[in-house]
Amino acid sequence: MSGPQALVIGGGPAGVSAAVALARAGIDVTLCEQGPRLGGAIHRQPDDQTQSVRVPRAHKQRWQALSDELAASTVKVLCRHMFAGIEATGAVLLEDRNTGRLVTRRPAALVLAMGAIERVAPVPGWHLPGVVSAGGLQVMMKSTGRAPSGAVLIAGSGPLLVALAAQMASLGNAPVAVLERSPRLMSLRVIASLLRTPAYLREAAGYVGTLVRAGCLPQRGAFVTAIVPKDGRLSVSVRDRGGRERQLLVDRVALHDGLLPNSNGTAAHPNGPFLVRAGDCREVLGGAAALADGRLAAQAVLAHLGKRGSDSTGAELAMARERQAQAALNTLFDYSGRDPTELPDDTIICRCEGRTLGQLRAMLDSRDPVSAREIKLNGRFGMGACQGRFCAEWVAAFVASQHADGSPPQSSEIVGSRWPVKPVPISAFVTLPPSHPSE
Amino acid sequence: MLRFTPVSFVSTLSAGVLHSDRTSSFRVGDMLHPQGNSPRSSRSVAIVGAGIVGMSAAHFLSRAGWQVTVYDAGVVASGATGSADGAVSVASKKPGPLMTLAVAAVKFYEQLIAEGVLVDEYLPRSTFVVASDDEELSVLERHAGELEAASVPIRMLRGTALTEVIGAAAPTAIAAAEVQREGHAVGYRVVERLRRLGGFAIRRNCRVSGFTSSNGHITGVITECGTEQADAVLLATGIGSMHFLAESDLIRPRKGQLIVTDRAGADSPHFPGPLMSCRYLVSKGSQPANSAAASRSLGLVIDPLRTGQFLIGGSREDRDDRETADGDIVAALLRDAVALSPSLARLRVIRVFSGLRAATRDGMPIVGRVGGADNLWIATGFEGDGICLGPLMGRLCQQMICGEPPDQDISALDATRFRLTLAAAA
Amino acid sequence: MSEVPSFLFDGKAIPHTGNETIAAALDRAGIHTLGTGQAGCAGRYFCGIGACQACLVIVDGTRMEACLTPARSGLTVKRFVPVSS
Ligand SMILES: Cc1cc2nc3c(=O)[nH]c(=O)nc-3n(C[C@H](O)[C@H](O)[C@H](O)COP(=O)(O)OP(=O)(O)OC[C@H]3O[C@@H](n4cnc5c(N)ncnc54)[C@H](O)[C@@H]3O)c2cc1C
Ligand SMILES: Cc1cc2nc3c(=O)[nH]c(=O)nc-3n(C[C@H](O)[C@H](O)[C@H](O)COP(=O)(O)OP(=O)(O)OC[C@H]3O[C@@H](n4cnc5c(N)ncnc54)[C@H](O)[C@@H]3O)c2cc1C
Ligand code: FES
Repeated sequence: MSGPQALVIGGGPAGVSAAVALARAGIDVTLCEQGPRLGGAIHRQPDDQTQSVRVPRAHKQRWQALSDELAASTVKVLCRHMFAGIEATGAVLLEDRNTGRLVTRRPAALVLAMGAIERVAPVPGWHLPGVVSAGGLQVMMKSTGRAPSGAVLIAGSGPLLVALAAQMASLGNAPVAVLERSPRLMSLRVIASLLRTPAYLREAAGYVGTLVRAGCLPQRGAFVTAIVPKDGRLSVSVRDRGGRERQLLVDRVALHDGLLPNSNGTAAHPNGPFLVRAGDCREVLGGAAALADGRLAAQAVLAHLGKRGSDSTGAELAMARERQAQAALNTLFDYSGRDPTELPDDTIICRCEGRTLGQLRAMLDSRDPVSAREIKLNGRFGMGACQGRFCAEWVAAFVASQHADGSPPQSSEIVGSRWPVKPVPISAFVTLPPSHPSE
Repeated sequence: MLRFTPVSFVSTLSAGVLHSDRTSSFRVGDMLHPQGNSPRSSRSVAIVGAGIVGMSAAHFLSRAGWQVTVYDAGVVASGATGSADGAVSVASKKPGPLMTLAVAAVKFYEQLIAEGVLVDEYLPRSTFVVASDDEELSVLERHAGELEAASVPIRMLRGTALTEVIGAAAPTAIAAAEVQREGHAVGYRVVERLRRLGGFAIRRNCRVSGFTSSNGHITGVITECGTEQADAVLLATGIGSMHFLAESDLIRPRKGQLIVTDRAGADSPHFPGPLMSCRYLVSKGSQPANSAAASRSLGLVIDPLRTGQFLIGGSREDRDDRETADGDIVAALLRDAVALSPSLARLRVIRVFSGLRAATRDGMPIVGRVGGADNLWIATGFEGDGICLGPLMGRLCQQMICGEPPDQDISALDATRFRLTLAAAA
Repeated sequence: MSEVPSFLFDGKAIPHTGNETIAAALDRAGIHTLGTGQAGCAGRYFCGIGACQACLVIVDGTRMEACLTPARSGLTVKRFVPVSS
């Protein structure tokens, strides 16, 4: 066997906590992160420590504790190492971005903690430069410690909209507007279900306070209908709750419609290592859950290796608590996106391949229900470099709404499930040493 | 909630008149009314397999007035047709009947384009077979001679001519044969076009397990979705044909792994057509190997696709685990590709996939009647040539089933050479 | 040395802080269009986490996500412009 006993992919709370727990039980662990630093989505570290975004104290303390544990552990950390998948003989492929080489590892166990990806519902113009995902804008802001420049509009649905808006406001550039698709307001029932996780209530109250002071509370029930370039800026058509349309001229639009596990190509392989997914990569429940789930993943690995771990009751309780909190929070949001019948035919659906809703509609034939595979191959939906991560769900939903009977396609049939899970430079591939030197 | 109004069948077809069809005069416009409302024909045919061979046969049989139903255990193009490269090429064919048929198959593609049947699905271009050492050069010269004997236009490129035409080839390339008048067709696009032209019904996810018969005459197909009557049956089942034949090891799976890159940019190589390493001829068995090293089954073709992407492949392995691709083979193919054209290293691999070719014991396809029934035909075993041969084979199957004299001599493919009979289970 | 650290983007010197990504440095320089994209949609920063592949640039000859690649002095970064065959 070459390589470590356990390989953990992803340097967010789930991956780090899994790695630390495994090392503590005496396992030889390597932790790989694609980016230059650990932290993941929620604990993204600033490029320059003196310039950072204000984050809730609980978040900061959580990451500090975890970083200290990691520093004290035997975990070997490899940054700029990208998980590329598990190939046919079961070897894990890692692309080392520092050296430009592809290497294989054959660990006994593999923990995949690659976090979540954002959902962004298609809207005309969402493919234009200057339109970013809300998380993408937040990544930039957390890294640079500066608010994004220019006039910014935030739209879609989910708690991230408010968090991003408040963080921008604190850094001195509040968004021009925050549009939350869902018309529902915080209710007593939701507040009651969040009492077991008061950190969320405190965090929300803090954000709302900042936004009240900045005068940019979210407009509920409002959404973007189209984005077009205008004089080097973006002209955005916005519809409010009463159905009134207006135009806003901005420099950036940040869109977000919830999160999905980043689980493309993460299925266990029959010849491969024992595989566990952890954190948002398994179930999107946020940072506190990710930490607990990392411990549970470590427990599963230890059990597989025939070792005893520590008691996992605490982690299981935390998971239950977080699951309940997320369920309550989700009732406040509307992740469905625009009704596709209202989207014009020239709306881009698959941005990598530049394919439109009209082209998708033309492929559907009421007399001969084409399959997901046919739509993918012939329509090129999901065939591009992001491997369907940003369009598969919408393509499947459009087609399903068209297939009255029969089996509607699943987004898993459109999204890529094979390795490489991400594009890998050929220059890296050619360095892969043959596993059978006689070859 | 997502809602969706059903949209009518949008067609991009021109309604031009098609000629040169011997069995019926026919308009593309006539085919815009698919399943259901064609006049009830006297004869019905069940075609098993919605690959390029079955779908082509369906097209021609429906044009000949048959009532056609295509059954597939999966969906359209879920077999080799959906996981292949698309060289419509004579360059790599074994001299003999296969080379002759390939020449006819290329002409047939050109004819289908002229008729408006396949509009945008065929891209004419040359293939470049590259030799990188003296041993490969001798293989190349012998093969080029045989191609010329089959009246395939060839141009030998050396020295400055070589660098002018394929500047992206490595400096180690010593010569190349430009095999002219060939083309490229994507299997799944061809069958999608035929599906859109319509005129026949398709049953997806409907495996055929056997037949009903009486007195040596097939009366229907037994499927997962029930038994249906048919006056004739064509098995175009690719590797799945094994299930129907008494001698089950006649057709073996030969796996191929293929690599898709992202798009070429100003920084990447440009080829006027696919580059094929001479070793490909050896791995394919088109030319005998001179040495053991050359006989390993990695034949390299770097195929520039219309999208600007490259398809790099493929291996030939006697295995049937279609779902997986392995790092060793992919890396070895890419090393060979970069050796043939160094600037390919700047591209990225975005996808790796594999497919199963249906290889017969003697390396020749099987087309003809299956013993034990007077109305059962088979067309299978096209191994690595079915995209090229598929449309022509569909046409020949139609002629065979209609009892017409075939346009091409296919006696070398005749099923009787193996005394084919139905498996007891079928 | 008083010289500001920088890398070249399509021939233009782009200053960077030494610890940021190529995407962050380009954004600060006001550059939002990162190329012609693979198939019709312009290259741009979008997800920030290496998932969408929209921010592809060519870094010293290798295609990489601008959002994952640290800016370093002396790098030659180019926009990706596809050529259709
Ligand atoms: C853009 C974005 C912004 C978010 N912002 C917030 C927020 O402000 N507050 C909040 O509470 N929650 C936020 N979330 C939710 C967040 O996902 C969770 O709170 C928490 O970070 C989940 O932890 P995790 O360890 O499961 O995943 P993450 O923290 O996302 O960590 C996953 C790690 O895996 C790495 N990775 C991914 N793919 C590979 C690969 N192929 N190879 C190697 N490494 C890889 C990533 O670079 C990342 O560092 C955000 C999510 C996203 C996607
Ligand atoms: C990697 C690779 C590269 C290739 N490159 C080229 C190339 O460059 N040029 C070229 O000309 N050819 C190439 N080929 C070969 C070509 O793809 C095949 O020869 C051709 O697709 C065969 O078509 P077919 O219709 O006979 O079979 P298939 O496409 O395999 O179709 C058979 C169909 O029958 C169905 N089926 C099977 N059993 C049953 C059953 N019992 N009931 C119902 N349905 C059933 C299957 O689901 C399948 O859809 C390549 C093949 C591979 C694998
Ligand atoms: S912005 Fe999405 S991959 Fe870089």
